[in-house]
Amino acid sequence: MSLELMDVVWVSLWLFTLLNVVAVAALSLVWLERKLLGRMQGRVGPTRVGPFGLLQPIADGIKLLMKEDIAPGSSSRVLFFVAPLLVFVPSYMVWITIPFGRDLFVRNLDLGLFFFVALSVLGIVGLVLAGWSSNSKYAILGGFRSAAQLVSYEIPIIMTILVVAMLAGSLSFHDVVLAQDVVPYAAVQPLAFGVFLLAGLAEVGRTPFDIYHAESEVVGGPFVEYSGAHWAIFFLAEYINTFMVGALGALLFLGGWRWPVGDVPAAAGVALFLFKTYAIVAVIFWVRATYPRMRIDQLMSFGWKVLIPLSFAAFVVTAFQMFYGWPIWMLTLLSLVILVPPIYIQLRWQRTPAMALAKHYAEIAVAVHAQPRPVPVAAVTEAHAAPGTEDDA
Amino acid sequence: MIAGVKGLLTTLRWLGKRPLTAHYPEQHLPVQERYMGFPALLTDDTADEPFCTGCMVCVRECPTQCMTAVMHDNPNVAEGTSHRRKIIETFEINLNRCILCGICVDVCALDAIEMSYEHELASFGRAGARADLEILLTLGRRYMEQSAWTPKNPEKNVAAVALAKKAAADAAKAAAAEGASSPAAGADAGGTAEAEGES
Amino acid sequence: MTTERQHDTIDMMLNMGPQHPATHGVFRMVLTLDGERVLDVTPHIGYLHRGSEKLCEGESYGQVVTLFDRIDYIANLNNELAFCRAAERLMSIEVPERAMYIRVILAELNRVASHALFIGTYAIDLGAMTPVMYGFRERERIQNLFEAVTGARMMHNFIRIGGVKEDVPDDFGPRVRQLIGQVREGIEEMDRLLTFNEVYLARTRGVGVIDAATAISVGLTGPSLRGSGVAYDVRKDDPYEIYPYLSYKVPIGENGDCWDRYYVRLQECYESLSMISQCLDQMEAGPTMVQMRRIARPPKGEVYVHSENPRGDIGVYLVSDGTDKPYRLKIRPPSFCNLVGLAPMTRGSYIADAVAILGSLDIVLGEVDR
Repeated sequence: MSLELMDVVWVSLWLFTLLNVVAVAALSLVWLERKLLGRMQGRVGPTRVGPFGLLQPIADGIKLLMKEDIAPGSSSRVLFFVAPLLVFVPSYMVWITIPFGRDLFVRNLDLGLFFFVALSVLGIVGLVLAGWSSNSKYAILGGFRSAAQLVSYEIPIIMTILVVAMLAGSLSFHDVVLAQDVVPYAAVQPLAFGVFLLAGLAEVGRTPFDIYHAESEVVGGPFVEYSGAHWAIFFLAEYINTFMVGALGALLFLGGWRWPVGDVPAAAGVALFLFKTYAIVAVIFWVRATYPRMRIDQLMSFGWKVLIPLSFAAFVVTAFQMFYGWPIWMLTLLSLVILVPPIYIQLRWQRTPAMALAKHYAEIAVAVHAQPRPVPVAAVTEAHAAPGTEDDA
Repeated sequence: MIAGVKGLLTTLRWLGKRPLTAHYPEQHLPVQERYMGFPALLTDDTADEPFCTGCMVCVRECPTQCMTAVMHDNPNVAEGTSHRRKIIETFEINLNRCILCGICVDVCALDAIEMSYEHELASFGRAGARADLEILLTLGRRYMEQSAWTPKNPEKNVAAVALAKKAAADAAKAAAAEGASSPAAGADAGGTAEAEGES
Repeated sequence: MTTERQHDTIDMMLNMGPQHPATHGVFRMVLTLDGERVLDVTPHIGYLHRGSEKLCEGESYGQVVTLFDRIDYIANLNNELAFCRAAERLMSIEVPERAMYIRVILAELNRVASHALFIGTYAIDLGAMTPVMYGFRERERIQNLFEAVTGARMMHNFIRIGGVKEDVPDDFGPRVRQLIGQVREGIEEMDRLLTFNEVYLARTRGVGVIDAATAISVGLTGPSLRGSGVAYDVRKDDPYEIYPYLSYKVPIGENGDCWDRYYVRLQECYESLSMISQCLDQMEAGPTMVQMRRIARPPKGEVYVHSENPRGDIGVYLVSDGTDKPYRLKIRPPSFCNLVGLAPMTRGSYIADAVAILGSLDIVLGEVDR
């Protein structure tokens, strides 16, 4: 295959457009998060910079780029500089395969899903390197936590992606969307959708799984020593990852640009795809506003003991359905049935005892009874009155 | 699960409610009637001078010692427009130090100082927080208008009322003295006439 | 760094330093860690020491009230009340009944405001960023009422020796009743977001357990002690003002973990609101200040008086030498004594739990350091 100049120029143009589109999308997510979280908390988000605060992310970006880039004296300089790149570049590279609409992609790789999984793991190396090279205790703690968390939660993501690949019969994003003509995979395999969303939350590092860069504990985790442009790169990478989880959810489970409208002009398709992506992202922000964060050991427990078995169960059930040729609705039914035990366990072993305890506390609260009140004294007493003498009213 | 979903619904419900933000500086939340802002000095319009005589009670009682005051003889007394023999010459409050506790108002017996409604007094210089007599009187004037202020003890403090009361008392005393017919009363009348001539 | 050679490992010393988003003020916790487990915790305090007790020796009694506002800057009226009670005991003053009712209403409202702040900040320590906004909205409502009554949102200087500064405005009754309804709804909203939330239960149940005997021996008071099952509340056991005429419940826990301490404070909010309602029903017209000299000159003597702060048992030890300024004024701050309980609670738990446990003690550094 010869590489003509026009090909190189054309692809470069596409890549440049992609870079800008993804960057703008990530910045729009910054704005959306602040506005949505603000409204849920009874306040407005940014309002001053631009109409409705739309230019706030740009102002933030300019501010971050203008800040002084401080590196700790005892940090390993080269690694300290390389770590943000290792986090940022894979996040971008995945977008080469992701189609925004019919024929709107840079490369339709046949191994698209596999490409995504392979690249998202590279980001983990960057985080651990950031924590290590900062030479700070908080950073080390954050780095360890992030390594454990992210590697563990890769497994449910891989299994749910395999489920989708099995159902669609292909690893290419384009084919997966085309296969969801009639019914989206979220309806076919709600279990896989749920597991994907939760594992995606953990992969991105969003509440309730954001302990590794929790402000109130490790004050930023692996990012604690970064400032200015380097921190901006981490920040941007996090939002690009969030957007990616949303985009993947929209493509793999919600039918991308096709369901339910079928073949429409490209612009409408893109709009539909973006709408689904932003819907998933809004749900991610909604969860952030509501839930506290899990402790690292609870997070690992949840991942290994709940999400991984569930994802394997989804995989096995899909395999059975495909092998024995059961109808599609059987898959939905089995998915919902599998979801019952974890929910039941939580209700029975966590919620019920807590509610019983609350009821018990209401009973053992010590009651203090009012004593009868004497007739109020109308007279005022004077200070330093000797005992026995009283003034008249 | 159930509690988590209930929590999600609680946050979702807020999307339909109006936010609680008051957009400052376009929207100023009104202060309540009793709000204690920075202290301000009040003006006695009947004598066109401050109520404050510089008695220094508030300066002494201030927990942070944020005030300084100097008094001098009141030129208005000779003209007969005021009953205050001394009047304030300079008064300075360091608003950086004032803790808005209101003790100065509590101890003032002359209705001279009140906690105004001012709380937006940020300035660009470090000395911008030192309020001198002119500034304090301006703030006080604004407070008097905003709150329709009336003195707590007008008979003692408002010049017109106090002077009128004193004139009435003197007239009553003179009438009583003239009404008496005994020589002692006559000597008293002479004495009182002398006293009248002095005041 | 402590070097304890156990299986060739070194314990890590982590400094949750004075600048940390989760230590509720300038407070330094030095944790000795073995991986993620906390072996020991050493609190370092004094970053907010302002010399309050020494300042009190140079200020007249009227000015001391303004200082007490600022010692625990979240429960201002409770502190003013604690000091005024001490001075009144020394001077053998009997406060008029209406003044006592006003004081108790304001003190209980302040208790609700303080607990609303506790719930909000505790939630955000654990990662839930919404209850803090709801909690501060309730505080705004209560502080607006304070502004209408006392003139200030926070540093009121309202409760004076011998009564209160002035009577409440005419619309006080209806306004407070409306406020009680609104605040109750707001607290219920935070309750719904937190109390039985799965992640919240996982973070707080079984964390930072302290049993009743250790709690008493360490000197815990207030909701932190009541969470361990000891039903000690100064309002109940050594009643003052008009608390004997109110009927209420003192909520207690049993397990002594963070969830219990949180739940006790939550229930106390509801109890306080009902107490305020009873006070409004019982309050009658009357004087709000005794007739006394403006400059208070207690006779020579000393007195120790304790009251129930939202954080625990605040004690004021006042020594007077007959002049118009106190000779010595010592404060027994509840947060300072509660901090001793931090070490037994935190040993053996994780780093993330250290933050949760510190939050559940509800300390205010102004009180700890004075």
